Amino acid sequence: MKNYLQLVNFEFNRIAKLFTVLLGITFVAQMIGVVVQSRSYLNMANEKMYKEMMPQAEFLENFGQMSFLQIARSSWFFGPIALCIAGVAFYIFFIWYRDWIGKNTFIYRLLMLPTSRLNIFFAKITTILIMTFGFVAVQLIIIPIEMLVMKAMVPDEFRLDMGVVEVLTTMPELTLIYPSSIMQFIFHYGLGLLAVSILFTGILFERSFKWKGIFAGLLYGGIAVIVLILPLLLHEFVLNSYFYPIELFVLEIVMGLIVFAASIWVSGFLLKNKVTV
Amino acid sequence: MRKYWKFMSILVVIILSIGTFYVKSVTSEANHPEFVIDTQSGDAKEIEPLKLVGYYSDTSSMDYTSTDVKISSEGSTYERRSFLDQIIGEPPAVIKEYQEKYRSFMRGKGLNVNSFFENNQFLAYADVDYKTDSFHSHDFKFPISILNKEDASVQSFTVDIPDSENMDYAYMEDLQIIEDELYIITNNMIRNPEGSFDEKHVYTIDLANQTLSNDDTFSQVPEGQEGNHIVAQVIRTSPTEANDHMILLQKEIKVIHDPESYREEVVKQEVISYNLATKEKESISVSDLPFNSELSFFDGSTIYFIGIEGQEIFVTPYHLADGQAGEEYRLQLSGEDGHGSAPMTTIKDGKLYLSGQQLTPKLNINAADVIVADVETGDILFKGQITLDDPKAKNQYELYLHEMLVE
Repeated sequence: MKNYLQLVNFEFNRIAKLFTVLLGITFVAQMIGVVVQSRSYLNMANEKMYKEMMPQAEFLENFGQMSFLQIARSSWFFGPIALCIAGVAFYIFFIWYRDWIGKNTFIYRLLMLPTSRLNIFFAKITTILIMTFGFVAVQLIIIPIEMLVMKAMVPDEFRLDMGVVEVLTTMPELTLIYPSSIMQFIFHYGLGLLAVSILFTGILFERSFKWKGIFAGLLYGGIAVIVLILPLLLHEFVLNSYFYPIELFVLEIVMGLIVFAASIWVSGFLLKNKVTV
Repeated sequence: MRKYWKFMSILVVIILSIGTFYVKSVTSEANHPEFVIDTQSGDAKEIEPLKLVGYYSDTSSMDYTSTDVKISSEGSTYERRSFLDQIIGEPPAVIKEYQEKYRSFMRGKGLNVNSFFENNQFLAYADVDYKTDSFHSHDFKFPISILNKEDASVQSFTVDIPDSENMDYAYMEDLQIIEDELYIITNNMIRNPEGSFDEKHVYTIDLANQTLSNDDTFSQVPEGQEGNHIVAQVIRTSPTEANDHMILLQKEIKVIHDPESYREEVVKQEVISYNLATKEKESISVSDLPFNSELSFFDGSTIYFIGIEGQEIFVTPYHLADGQAGEEYRLQLSGEDGHGSAPMTTIKDGKLYLSGQQLTPKLNINAADVIVADVETGDILFKGQITLDDPKAKNQYELYLHEMLVE
């Protein structure tokens, strides 16, 4: 356990810089977004009301009040989120390959540690998870700050105030990242964790058998996906919709756990016996 | 410990931030206004079995988002369905009950209420099944299952649908069992080189031999009459009740091509009563039947022709047994003419339930009547309006109701 925690801490410190930089970009870009969107709304209001002499009531009738959703729908807000997602996706691969790059291959020292080699796998997957949750959590803290800035810029009568929960649950694009219930949150990120474990196994196949390993990794991924959706396929094409939805859901969770366990077992086997430096 | 500070602090941030978010999302009720059915006259007890389902949206900002809402005599409840509820789905109340009572029989059955028939002895299911490829549909079949409630035996078989070469799709309108025969009423969409049109079919299945013994067709496009076509509509019934008649409303529609427009005009309207067992067709003559009587309802013995004219609903009962039409009565709706869509209606236990569908104060749409009347005489038992509980609440909203349940 202590070894595992030390490894996680070690891996996390290695990504801390990248992590902080991405968070910084997110904060700055979204802040610019708040200012730009609020300004453009106010400019439009000014134009309509003072140049075209539109009464304030009529303006609100036609154009509506400004809410945080207008900001949240702009690419100033979504761009940095996409960048963070891309960062995590990139790091899923890089967290392994960086250990093989360079003069003194780091993986050599990792594999020599007097601990179970599976701990390396667990530490790396935990780091990915923490990085992801870190982005998710910090974004939740940034949003109220952005709301304050908007509040300061847009006068009361032109503004529709919404809570963080309200904003996040009404935007379908964001409910993928912030599902409205904790159950769904666990389900979404559990599925993500499963996908990462399959990718890790694929990477380890490649590291163990080089070119042939790429093929083996793809094969493993394919099998994992087929096993995962097997209940759905059977239900749809063989069993004539035999299962009730709740039964199908439980079966899917069981299948997910089986694939997850298989990924860990295969990765452990590869790390212990096959991986080459 | 100092070695771990980065790692520890991010963990604390994660747990606090995400934890707060989900605690908040559970405890914070969105501030939606309370809707009530305000009694204007009559007995408020009459609306106790009534449930209205729809959605509410706040229109004060331009970002339209809506929330599911249910309105009953006890006020309104906003539904945020849990994750598990979403997975289980929300089958119609009747189907849900069947699933609980006959869990094994209901496996693999669709959720269309029209596909089911129930009486003391049987629970029957039939559906239209077909394959589609990129050019046409083929292999039309009826999968049929009948549960005998006495000995819990299940009879399952499939019957090929005859003459289905030109069929595009088909769906169930109703299912009935009378003695040893199963009656499947469908709407078939036919496509041929001249165009496409709907046909109503009544298929008779002999349960002893599990074969199709008869196929009656209604409302085929009459040949040679250019421009005129016939559409038929099966008069609504309560989906779970046994009926030995099917009532069809058949309209002949003339298409008028002006240089600049295209209009449809109903030139003839006919009500046909079809006896499922004897296959006798009988034309029912109803004088002054309004052309827009889509809301009509058949309860097994009486047809209630329901039509709308302006802000008036008029109902004419017609007793099938003695062929006598009853007294026509009218119900006045509030609100302005031409605003909002037709009200929802249903008939249950001798009462006519009626509810408006839309409340949009901004556009002056105020179709919010709720009326319960004796369906025979038209005596109003309850009359009310859906209103906001707090009259001072802002009127920047839209309420749209799409389903009415009487329990």
